[in-house]
Amino acid sequence: MSKKLSLKRLLLANPWYFAIPIVLGVISSLAGVALLGISGWFISATGLATAMGVGLAFNYLTPGAIVRLMAILRTAGRYGEQVTAHNHLLSLLRTLRLWVWDQRVAQNPANLHQQSRGDLLQRLVSDLDQIIRWPLVVFLPWLYALLSYGAVSLLAYIILPTLLWPLSIAALLHLLLVPYVCGQFASHAVHVGQILGVHRRSRFISVFSALITLTIRGHWQTYAQRLKQLDERQRQTEIRIQNAISLGRLGCYGVTIALLAVSLFMVGEYQADTGRWGLLADVQGTWVVGFTLSLLAVNELVLPLAQSFVAQGQSQVGLRRLNQLQPDPSIQDKKTIAPIQQMQFRTWRGFHAASGMGNAPIDLDIQTGDSIWIGGASGAGKSTLLAAMAGDCLSSGNALINNQTCELYNNPSYQAQLSYLPQSPYVFQQSIEANLRLGNPNATTESLWSVLDAVSLGDWARALPNGLNTLLSSQGRNLSGGQRKRLALARLLLRQAPILLLDEPFDGLDTHTIEKICESLQGPYKPNMLLLVSHVSSPLGNQSRKITL
Amino acid sequence: MQQQTLKKKQAAVSSRVKTLEALFLGELANLQSVKYHSAQAVGVVFAVSLVVQAWALANVFSEMALHQSFSLSYLVIGLLALLMRAFANFARERICADASRAIRYDLRRKLLSHLTKLGPARLIIDEDAALSTRVYEQVDALDDYFSRYKPQVFMVALIPSVILLSVMSVSWITFFIFMLTAPLVILFMIFVGHKAAQANRRQFNVLAMLSNQFMDLSQGLAELKRLGRTREARDRLSDSATAYQKTTMGVLALAFLSTATLELFASLSIAMIALYLGLGLLEILPWQVGSSPVTLTQAMFLLLLAPEFYLPLRQLGNDYHAKQKAEAAATDLLEIMNAPIQSPHLQTQKKTSTTETETQPPSETAYYYAIDGQALLRFKDLSWFEEGRYRLAPINAHVSQGERIWISGESGVGKSSLLHLLLGFEENYQGQCLINGQPFRHLNLSNWRKNLAWLPQTPEWVNGSIRRNVLLGITPPSEQAIQTALIKSQCDAFIQALPDGLDTKLTELGSGLSGGQMQRLSIARALLSNADVWLLDEPCSGLDNETAQAVLTTLEQASKGKTLLIVSHDTHPILWADKHWVLTKRGLHE
Repeated sequence: MSKKLSLKRLLLANPWYFAIPIVLGVISSLAGVALLGISGWFISATGLATAMGVGLAFNYLTPGAIVRLMAILRTAGRYGEQVTAHNHLLSLLRTLRLWVWDQRVAQNPANLHQQSRGDLLQRLVSDLDQIIRWPLVVFLPWLYALLSYGAVSLLAYIILPTLLWPLSIAALLHLLLVPYVCGQFASHAVHVGQILGVHRRSRFISVFSALITLTIRGHWQTYAQRLKQLDERQRQTEIRIQNAISLGRLGCYGVTIALLAVSLFMVGEYQADTGRWGLLADVQGTWVVGFTLSLLAVNELVLPLAQSFVAQGQSQVGLRRLNQLQPDPSIQDKKTIAPIQQMQFRTWRGFHAASGMGNAPIDLDIQTGDSIWIGGASGAGKSTLLAAMAGDCLSSGNALINNQTCELYNNPSYQAQLSYLPQSPYVFQQSIEANLRLGNPNATTESLWSVLDAVSLGDWARALPNGLNTLLSSQGRNLSGGQRKRLALARLLLRQAPILLLDEPFDGLDTHTIEKICESLQGPYKPNMLLLVSHVSSPLGNQSRKITL
Repeated sequence: MQQQTLKKKQAAVSSRVKTLEALFLGELANLQSVKYHSAQAVGVVFAVSLVVQAWALANVFSEMALHQSFSLSYLVIGLLALLMRAFANFARERICADASRAIRYDLRRKLLSHLTKLGPARLIIDEDAALSTRVYEQVDALDDYFSRYKPQVFMVALIPSVILLSVMSVSWITFFIFMLTAPLVILFMIFVGHKAAQANRRQFNVLAMLSNQFMDLSQGLAELKRLGRTREARDRLSDSATAYQKTTMGVLALAFLSTATLELFASLSIAMIALYLGLGLLEILPWQVGSSPVTLTQAMFLLLLAPEFYLPLRQLGNDYHAKQKAEAAATDLLEIMNAPIQSPHLQTQKKTSTTETETQPPSETAYYYAIDGQALLRFKDLSWFEEGRYRLAPINAHVSQGERIWISGESGVGKSSLLHLLLGFEENYQGQCLINGQPFRHLNLSNWRKNLAWLPQTPEWVNGSIRRNVLLGITPPSEQAIQTALIKSQCDAFIQALPDGLDTKLTELGSGLSGGQMQRLSIARALLSNADVWLLDEPCSGLDNETAQAVLTTLEQASKGKTLLIVSHDTHPILWADKHWVLTKRGLHE
């Protein structure tokens, strides 16, 4: 699943699911063309039979039955196609979402944080929605048009083999050239439009987030003007795309008209005596009627193609953006680490990739049973240091685990042995129980309650009408900052990892709660090693070795 | 204005059930009625050429079948009519797309200016990122409705009527087949469509839920990685998607039933007409043996028109989702448009320019001064009563030049409203607010605003360098002045540590600067703007205690000599303030 995404892969993602709508759609499209063609032939043949006085001998039952069959096939086919195609769409959505998920799991933490912003993710989701539609809005219509052309060619061959020439040229124009030219004509605009869209949006957020400052300084108008200019440019690209589609459709009509004219020209010759166009000797008039009517039916199938190839451009832009998610192949330390007994840091410094800001280099030794309180002024880089120790943030210097040099950044086997509580932990939009069980899926209900009591959330949870099954809202918005942090801490404690890293766990908590949490961390939930970043003094901190940055 | 007309219209049609969204969309469409009318005219050309084409080709076909030859003039007419149809279609498409663009870009301009006028109140609706989605994506979601659905509604009425008219003189039976099936089709459409719409909505909701789950797990991916639970989360995503897919087939089957009904009617009618015509031509219709009700030309004509009769309805059925999409988007857009503007900014300025001459006489100003003495700001029974409750209980207070005031109180008592009022974004207050003795309403707003510095909870930043941001909207001072301001606000140390110094780019992502550092930059900006009056709305609420204390200390030193109104919770007390106002639901206590 880690291969690059391409349109071809979209087609082959679930071939069996996809085969059903294809077959049904083909049946329905062909039946539609045949319905019109056979009806035309049938009526003209009956008219001819009566005129020739053989009307009573004419076998009308078979063609009549075929016409009815085609009508039913067309309906049932279209219906079945729509249902199964949308079912396929859902399975594609699932496959692609899982692909995106896998790519993001493989990202290193610094990139991951950058991509986790709400609006970026939102764009990702809408890109996904755009490209899963590709097989349905681009590929299937094209296939139907192609096959109908095939069916009509068969008829043309029976009537007059030379008719295949204009037919194949028209097919080439309809199926390849016109959509291709439209796609090319619009592709630049589609591309520019997508970029403008992103740009316009970030400009909007940037300008509006400074609305009041700009207004009170009297400069709002100039900034707002720039937004309007961007909008105007967007409008131009939209016009260009619209022109491409409309002209493409007009071109399709033109090709059909020319095809009709040429075909009717080829099946006959000018009769100078009557001034009429007479059919060639071996050409049946009734068949030509059926043929002409089927061409008109094919025209209806060809018209959407101009638009669909512009949609293809949009899907491709979406694909390119999704493919950018692919992480660079990074060499990961695969070897497992024995239970950590001691950690040594030499001229160790954690820093952020974007700004290079972080803590001043430190030397630090930690043994099993150690408990360390990291203090220091605001901006000294305490949180960055802790994140780097948790393998979540870039670092320089040497880290020795059990006396062996070890790369900590993005190293799963190292991270498996520690629990890290960041400054703003994430709470999932699931029940309290599901959130806790992320720490340990096999935990018993009693252990869930006791860990909640350990962070003094037990009484709060017991008071909730749904108890542990209470659903938490998006990003835990119905919890206070302190509750969110304690819930995340409870989840970590369930993991019982040997190393515990806590970043400001006591922020916004009253003394009683702090004491309760410290008691738990020194008693039943005591980790082998504890690193605590806090500006508040606590019983836990007071019994720890203190280092100041 | 627009809302009022909207409400009037709503009252007028209250007997008919029409949602606010539908009204809003109708209102917008009316703005481009000229374009829609010309699209309708082109539609008539389209319908007429349709009939002409059918008639000409029918002649060609019947002659071809009966005589093995045909008249060229019929063929030329037929092909020309087809060409005409193509051009009419082209023109109609362009006109409708143009109308849709005009509506959408106009609406977007209105939304932008409305949001501008809303000022800080816009954040009550949503945060900026989400607002941008509404202004761009949601407005574009109206496109299909205005460019396809709306004009198609007319075609659905037009084309069948034109076809019925032309068929009437040819064959009564065909006319009746059409007449009978058309209402049946519509009836079934409504009947099934209603169920399908419900099913659609349900599907929409579940899909939204799936998206939500994906978003939630993705946002917390870092946490899941740390916990080593990415595999479980993936299984969860996979399972719920599979489960949904399994249960959804029933919903889908129903949802597409409405389109299937249409298709069935269209197909069966074509087949019925073909059979009827065929048997009629063979002269073996049970009730009419031995004679034919139609000639071959007429039969061909009817056969060619039969599919066209149902085509517009089928297209409308396909575009039905466009309507649902547009109505969903309209709900979000109406929320913005219906948010009341407190200060019609331009009107205020116009008003001040006319009243300026009245309030200008020095004697009068002196009179005000005499009454108020030193007070820079004076509130007399100032309150803000809205929707049956006080958003700000009546207060009486005054602020002298250079006084620093800490305002606290529980949330919802109007602390922020008071600041917004001073910023000139709230006009619908009661009582009096005097600035230097002048009523606020008579003030030259832009002159007053130049005196202000605004430091909200999240500092206001544009994309660009730190330098550009601290100098936002002021004439660039000397490098010396910038340095002084940076030292005073204690920004110099961390800016020097940055590789690009003052020219470091600040983006939406931030630049690794902490919340405290951003607030210090805001202080530097306030210093550089030479504003005398600083308004601060919970500048420390996003910071941890330690950082907050450090920022407040900096603020204490930097703001000496300025008039300060600072809103802050009791958790971040402003101990150095000259006065402490506690706002409650009953008023103000010093």
